[in-house]
Amino acid sequence: MNPEALNTGLIETLSLTLVITSVAAVEMRRLKFSIVAYVCQALLIVGVLLSFAAVNKALYWWAATALVTKAILTPWFLFRAIRGVDDRELKPVIGFGPSVVIAALLMLSFFRLTHGRVALLAPTELGQLGVFRTNLAAASTVFALGLYAVLTRRDAIKTVIGLCLLENGVHLSLVSLAPGLPETALFGVATEVVVTVFLLLYVIGGVREVFGSTDTFRLRELRW
Amino acid sequence: MSGEPLTESSLIPAAVFLLPVLAGVIVFSAARLGRVFQQWISVLTAALVTGFGVWMVGQTLKGVVLTTWNRELRVDALSALMVIIIGGIGLLTTIYSARYLDERLAEGPLARRTHTFHGLLLWFLGTMLWGCVTNNVIMLYVAIEATTLTSGLLVAFYWDRRALEAGYKYLMLLTIGITFALFGCVLLYASAAATNKLAGASALLISDIRGVVQFIPSGTAAITIAFLVIGFGTKAGIAPFHPWLPDAHAEAPTPVSVLLSGVMIKMALYALARTVSIFYPAWPQVTIFLVALGCFTMLLGIILALTQNDLKRLLAYSSVSQMGYVLVGIALGTYLGCYGGLFHLLNHALYKSLLFMCVGAVMYATGARRISELGGLRQRMPITSACFFLGALAISGFPPLNGFWSKLTIYLALARAGLWWAAIIAILASILTMVVMIRAGYRVFWGTPPQGSAAYQVDQGGAACQADQGGAVAPTLREVPARMFVPMMILAAACALLGIFPQAAYPLLDRATTVLATLGK
Repeated sequence: MNPEALNTGLIETLSLTLVITSVAAVEMRRLKFSIVAYVCQALLIVGVLLSFAAVNKALYWWAATALVTKAILTPWFLFRAIRGVDDRELKPVIGFGPSVVIAALLMLSFFRLTHGRVALLAPTELGQLGVFRTNLAAASTVFALGLYAVLTRRDAIKTVIGLCLLENGVHLSLVSLAPGLPETALFGVATEVVVTVFLLLYVIGGVREVFGSTDTFRLRELRW
Repeated sequence: MSGEPLTESSLIPAAVFLLPVLAGVIVFSAARLGRVFQQWISVLTAALVTGFGVWMVGQTLKGVVLTTWNRELRVDALSALMVIIIGGIGLLTTIYSARYLDERLAEGPLARRTHTFHGLLLWFLGTMLWGCVTNNVIMLYVAIEATTLTSGLLVAFYWDRRALEAGYKYLMLLTIGITFALFGCVLLYASAAATNKLAGASALLISDIRGVVQFIPSGTAAITIAFLVIGFGTKAGIAPFHPWLPDAHAEAPTPVSVLLSGVMIKMALYALARTVSIFYPAWPQVTIFLVALGCFTMLLGIILALTQNDLKRLLAYSSVSQMGYVLVGIALGTYLGCYGGLFHLLNHALYKSLLFMCVGAVMYATGARRISELGGLRQRMPITSACFFLGALAISGFPPLNGFWSKLTIYLALARAGLWWAAIIAILASILTMVVMIRAGYRVFWGTPPQGSAAYQVDQGGAACQADQGGAVAPTLREVPARMFVPMMILAAACALLGIFPQAAYPLLDRATTVLATLGK
């Protein structure tokens, strides 16, 4: 693989913007805006894939499927799930102010940690290049923010958005770790979680119907 | 080379998982053809899968490794063992579920969804089989995620408060957990490719990665192993990643509970063993970490089982504990440890399926599943009672039943490895298992029948009479139909026979162990 064929400046910009969209998707209190932030992130990932396709043509296929699954289908399912109901997120475990501070701290610490110790994840000379370092740091940050959303949000729809961020983090790391390998595109396409999102939202629809809310704290029938 | 297995190209590994998937499509599209048709399709498919499994076992015993599609699918003795377990338990479950569901789904809105149940059950079997025959590390992840998707709606099948809560937790927690496994698989793939030692082999195929894994830097290997353990360990019900398990296994329809506890969690542990065991030769210190995790799992699971009043939750927590034994055995990496682990995996599939079927039979007959609401059932349900006690004794490691031999093998393996503390914990957990299971069995089948229970009432002679929710006495409580007790009796017989003739499983277990025992004899 020839890394000089890559537009490194563009890829780094896209990656860093990806982190910002993650924070927005987690911290926005209106679910509608969270989904919009997620759509922006999905489009940025498509952009990253297209940029890497300069060295691996198979990535065009992954970019096309990511556009359909991440940027169209997943947001469509999410918008359908909040249609006709109040789209304000249920009050999370951690209040808005502290949550933003925690998200910022997570962002800074994970980014710095991965950027500084990238050799742990990418044991190659290629992985040490600036563009890959930035990308992997962004990937681990998106993953951490997704996990943070899943663990601290009580609104089931928000946890699904967190799950989507987790997956985006893994996909971004995949394309950063092995951009030149022919199997990478197949790997990415096969591991899309759009069906999982659909099924989860279907069950959440049932939860709302029976419990009258998507508040996961009200799911307390089964304990010990 | 003389030591290399003979590789043979065959389409059977593909057929074994595509057949249930196709049968599932037929069942879904034939919703109007009625329940009997759906049940027959399910039973026939499971029987064919079992037949394929038997053939695969025969081939692997001859030293043949079956491959399909340029080694994307690869069946060695370990895969064949898993296929025969999934096929066999799947067959008995489909037979059992036919009568069980007839009763439960005869009326109401669920009656229109029997095709959904049977279709998803077949897809669930198909995806588990896919995971066991694939040689591709990514498809292994995809197959395991697919088992979650196909079984998620089965867990929430009754669509009431408890089922929906269990279904949501199941889908959410397992998907989060398995995303860690995906990260682990990505790292494994990328770091194997980065070694530049593959020489034409593929970084996606587990059998090829195995040859280069020692060249992966130790830091990367440690992170990869951690992600794989968290990911596949969550699915396998390993503590502390187990909280989804008791809810899902207890709230799912009983035939699904049988497959979840009897088969699915083993399939996840199989994935863990396949991927993590390849690291043992270069990083043997991993084994201690996994043995400690296994000991923690077996102890925590059985302590939580002690506190349960709900029979299905009790069995679910006991499954957590038993998975600890399997993990400890396989984690040792030695021949004796892996043999004990795989033998226990096989045994647990048999007796936990049996125990869940017995509890399903009790629920079928009485409508109750809380220990405090049950008692004195042995006279009216002698077959269920005998089967439950046989399963309870087997899981407790009582000689000469099958559980005794596998647990003994694990104790010996731990002692030989010098891990006496782990052997003591394993023996302690086994004693607690006996207390939990025998106490529950005694109270349900021998104990004093509860007076004025909402579930059923007892006449003067001690015979139980089923009552409806309103308290009126319903028709007399009796043993479950043959289509339910025959699968139970087959499983009970298998537990007894494997206990009396443990050498019967030796040829297959020996070859399967050789695949996993990367630290030698």
